[in-house]
Amino acid sequence: MANDRLRGKPDVVLTPEVLSARLDRAAANTDLDIREGRFQRWLALIAGLSSALSGIEVAYEHYKGSYSRRVMYTPVILSGALVAGGMSGFFSRRAARTILPAVSVLTLGDCAVGFYFHVRGIHRKPGGWRLPIVNMVMGPPVFAPLLFGVSAYLGLLASFLRRGEAAGSGILPLPAHPDHWARIVTGEHEPISWAQDVREGRFQKQMAIATAVSAFFSGFEAWYSHYKNNFRYKAQWTPVIIAPMLMAAGIAAVKSPRIARTWLPAISAVAIVDGAVGFGYHARGVLRRPGGLKKPFYNVIYGPPLFAPLLFAACGFLGVLASLLRREKRR
Amino acid sequence: MNSQTERVDTRPVNTRTGKPIGPISQPGYYPGFSTLAQQKFWDAKTREVVLDRVINVPEIRFFSQQEARLLEAICDRILPQDDRDESHKIPIVPQIDRRLYENSHDGYRYEDMPPDREAFQLGLRAVEEIAQHEYRLGFLEIGPREQEEILHSLHHGKPSAGHEIWKQLPIHRFWMLLVSDCADAYYSHPWAWDEIGFGGPAYPRAYMRLERGEAEPWESEEKRYQWKAPDSSVSGVFEPVAGQAEHLGSPGQGGAH
Amino acid sequence: MLGSIQRIESPMRRFSEGEEVDYVIVGVGAGGGVLLQRLARAGFRVIGFDAGPFWDTERDWVSDEKGAHNLYWNDMRITAGEHPLAFGANNSGKGVGGGTVHWASFTPRLHPSDFSIHSTDGVGVDWPIPYSDLKPYYELMELELPVSGPSYYPWGDPHGYPYGPHPMGGVGDALIRGCTNLGIGVSAGGPVAILSGSRANRPHCIYRGFCIQGCKVGAKASTLITHVPDAIENGAEIRPNCMVSRIHVGATRRVTGVSYFDSDGRACFQKAKAVIVAGYSIETPRLLLNSACPGFENGLANSSDCVGRYLMAQAGNVVLGRFEELVRMYKAPPAHALTEEFYETDAKRGFARGFAIQTVGPLPMSFAKQMMVAKGAWGWGLRSVMMDYNHWAAFGFLGEILPNADNRVQLAEEKDRLGIPIAKITFNLYDNDKKLIEFGKNKTMEVMWAAGAQEVVQEARYAHLVGAARMGDNPETSVVDQFGRTHDIANLFLCDGSIMPTQGSANPGLTIMALAARAADYLIREGAAVFKSEERNTQKPPIRRDLSPPDTWGHGMPRI
Repeated sequence: MANDRLRGKPDVVLTPEVLSARLDRAAANTDLDIREGRFQRWLALIAGLSSALSGIEVAYEHYKGSYSRRVMYTPVILSGALVAGGMSGFFSRRAARTILPAVSVLTLGDCAVGFYFHVRGIHRKPGGWRLPIVNMVMGPPVFAPLLFGVSAYLGLLASFLRRGEAAGSGILPLPAHPDHWARIVTGEHEPISWAQDVREGRFQKQMAIATAVSAFFSGFEAWYSHYKNNFRYKAQWTPVIIAPMLMAAGIAAVKSPRIARTWLPAISAVAIVDGAVGFGYHARGVLRRPGGLKKPFYNVIYGPPLFAPLLFAACGFLGVLASLLRREKRR
Repeated sequence: MNSQTERVDTRPVNTRTGKPIGPISQPGYYPGFSTLAQQKFWDAKTREVVLDRVINVPEIRFFSQQEARLLEAICDRILPQDDRDESHKIPIVPQIDRRLYENSHDGYRYEDMPPDREAFQLGLRAVEEIAQHEYRLGFLEIGPREQEEILHSLHHGKPSAGHEIWKQLPIHRFWMLLVSDCADAYYSHPWAWDEIGFGGPAYPRAYMRLERGEAEPWESEEKRYQWKAPDSSVSGVFEPVAGQAEHLGSPGQGGAH
Repeated sequence: MLGSIQRIESPMRRFSEGEEVDYVIVGVGAGGGVLLQRLARAGFRVIGFDAGPFWDTERDWVSDEKGAHNLYWNDMRITAGEHPLAFGANNSGKGVGGGTVHWASFTPRLHPSDFSIHSTDGVGVDWPIPYSDLKPYYELMELELPVSGPSYYPWGDPHGYPYGPHPMGGVGDALIRGCTNLGIGVSAGGPVAILSGSRANRPHCIYRGFCIQGCKVGAKASTLITHVPDAIENGAEIRPNCMVSRIHVGATRRVTGVSYFDSDGRACFQKAKAVIVAGYSIETPRLLLNSACPGFENGLANSSDCVGRYLMAQAGNVVLGRFEELVRMYKAPPAHALTEEFYETDAKRGFARGFAIQTVGPLPMSFAKQMMVAKGAWGWGLRSVMMDYNHWAAFGFLGEILPNADNRVQLAEEKDRLGIPIAKITFNLYDNDKKLIEFGKNKTMEVMWAAGAQEVVQEARYAHLVGAARMGDNPETSVVDQFGRTHDIANLFLCDGSIMPTQGSANPGLTIMALAARAADYLIREGAAVFKSEERNTQKPPIRRDLSPPDTWGHGMPRI
């Protein structure tokens, strides 16, 4: 892409001034392409990975629901497709522009359908919405389809990013030098174009919102699952407490670049740690079930959900990612 | 109640404090737990049936006054409620009376048993005969300890009198019938559910904490205390029912499980 | 209304008085319900009689142990013998849906070995059909109910279930703990005919534990909600509260119809081209014996003197264990985990055949009576052990008792309110049965100890009935052939648990339904020949998967 622009149109006379201006612009574009490209790659990969987690969870959650409707297979199939889409988006620019958005949009649609069926499922349980708590706890998890939707949304977001094929775009969009971390925290900008500032800023906002939304869904699920379990362990309160904080930070980060650089990454990091610890506890919970490893399959599906804490950690990861993006200057 | 019964404390004893328990409104390890308080979460039909059981205690229609009083004294020992206050005693005899009046039964009768109505009338007569034989007093006139001794002899299948009657009425079957009927009346009552921590009716709202005996948000945690039967009692220990071993098909198997 | 959201919309067909129908089915339970639905779907004119009511589950049933009393067959029966059986709540239902209304709904299949125990173990009798004949019908029924359970079930003929397993309650956890600690395989969360995911107009289980008191939710399968609605939709009539008292035989030694008492106690007659009796192990022989008439002095279809004989009940000892921690066994369905590790004959044990260990979940009234028997509890002892109700868990042992000609159903002198002689049942245990019970009881107690119980007691009792009008190829030693057709009368059929020659250690419900579906395929293939001909076609019928109720397909998982 950048090379095409460099060549220019043949009927324009290339004076040194024109050339110089073009080179400046091209350099800026290349830089933008590279940054966004890296970012796109990694966002695609994250969409794929989180969808893999969601996919495994939905596969066995729907198994617990006996795949009693054929439509219950769709999120399992689509999560596979989204994993494939994310992976191919990581490796191929073309895939990132074609397959990834297609699969993402399809998945978003499916999530809406799923949300409808889950709401309806609770409605159709004895007592319906008149017994909201019991039926939400024991019925289909009402926000699970929407949480899955966040992965799809990330996939869609990734496909809108620009991407060059220049070398280096496969590197994680993290500042390489320790100094850069300081710059991010202090808000000092690298010398890049304002256009990139604006684009990244928008994406940062989007990411911050995505963080807040998925923290809400994930936190809500943690709340009622742990409530179902009577909060037997104090640690079960942590995701319930961290989730609203992460939500607040995510929402505040939309307005305040300062919060986006400070509170958001801090709370996100806490969420990641909490998710990792939760994963450990859930794994231990599975092992401690009657029969333990002698009934591995049953205990994984009916024990504490192994991947739910990882999905919570994924919210934190989104938050960190959002905070790493740069932000346009206020005009 | 005569002077003899007044002297004996028939209340169970808290073994930690050494004090008698009750009379209180709700014995058991789940203080404050009330299944009836959850009735708005039950379906209409169940609510109707359970409330009817609590509110409308049936009149005595099958037994004579005398039989009813005798049976009441027996039931007071088979399912003693001395720890419950007067307004929270669970009516047992009226339930048995209704069952017999309506001639309702579990759908079978042992070949060697007379029909339930007859069995009860015969059994009551035999109990009275034993009391007369042992103490030269009516069952109603003897103290709780003595009453329990008589019932204990039925439990062991070795009553000291009424042998003519026991020829028509196998003792262990009658004993099982009697205890089953008392248990049915007592443990079908919501106050008994509160006492033992049973959740009661569960539709449309059911349970979400299925494992590890965890309480639902509306259930109570167990608060155990150590207690023992009153000193006047012989029913606090567990001894096998006589005659049961050789009869695999004992009356206890009637319930659904 | 059936269940919380299921409704029967179509008005029921009414055949006019005096109108001859194709089939009369006596008893709409596990067998009768499936058969009625199949025959109606195939276009036959069919009436199902049931002695009990047509339940409106929302209005008639209660979430209460005592209030469920009217679900059971409570008409008086006399029980005799050295080891007499209990009836009523224990094993028979009254009302449309029959026993499936109050079964705990464990639905394991019989093992292939069950069909030939005489050949292999030298006990009991062989079935006239092998397992492979019944297997496709097992598979079909597991879809129609449907059955929830593990994706791989290792015992007998290994198979998987179309619906996923259920979560555990405290009792299931205890069984799993006990079994795994002893290195015994255990199946968690099924096989039970309870929905683990919703299906069409039936919501999934809410784990309230009142399965045996009738599932108001509509999650537990009963023919009342799985097959009867489709039967009505397809033009079957059901006459509830109608007690059939007699089957009539015409001049050509063929049955012509049935006498019955309608809901007002009025004596009526229904003409039919063929009659199918599906009244279960006590009422079926009672009706056949009571229908004795010139030419059939010993009762209908009784030239072999086998009607009423070879009655079986599974040994069903309940083993109760007290745990330090709370269990609250009233939560979750009573049926949710089992092991069939001891199902097959093991020569080392010194007896033939075996047993299963299953979860049970007695509610307070039943538990009180179990404590009375198991511990001799009464008085303050009863009060105190009942206060510990939430600390106890209960397992049911389910052992195979072998058929014996002297375990039988007869008519007593005594008559019921309609003037029909009541049934008298004589039951004894024999050597193999006693050894099996002793071993199985001890093994079940061992599992309870291994689960961590501090105290373990047990109550002897029986579970399901089968037999008393067994099937076989030889008309001299059996009542019906492999399709349920009586050897003596070409248009009289039996279709319920009474035709099972042996019982295995599996709960009989699914097998009864599978046999009914097979009998239906036979009757449908034979068509009008059943009504006219004395010819007996013994060819296996083709399986009719197109006759399943509409919600059978498109739900659940592919079978492994």
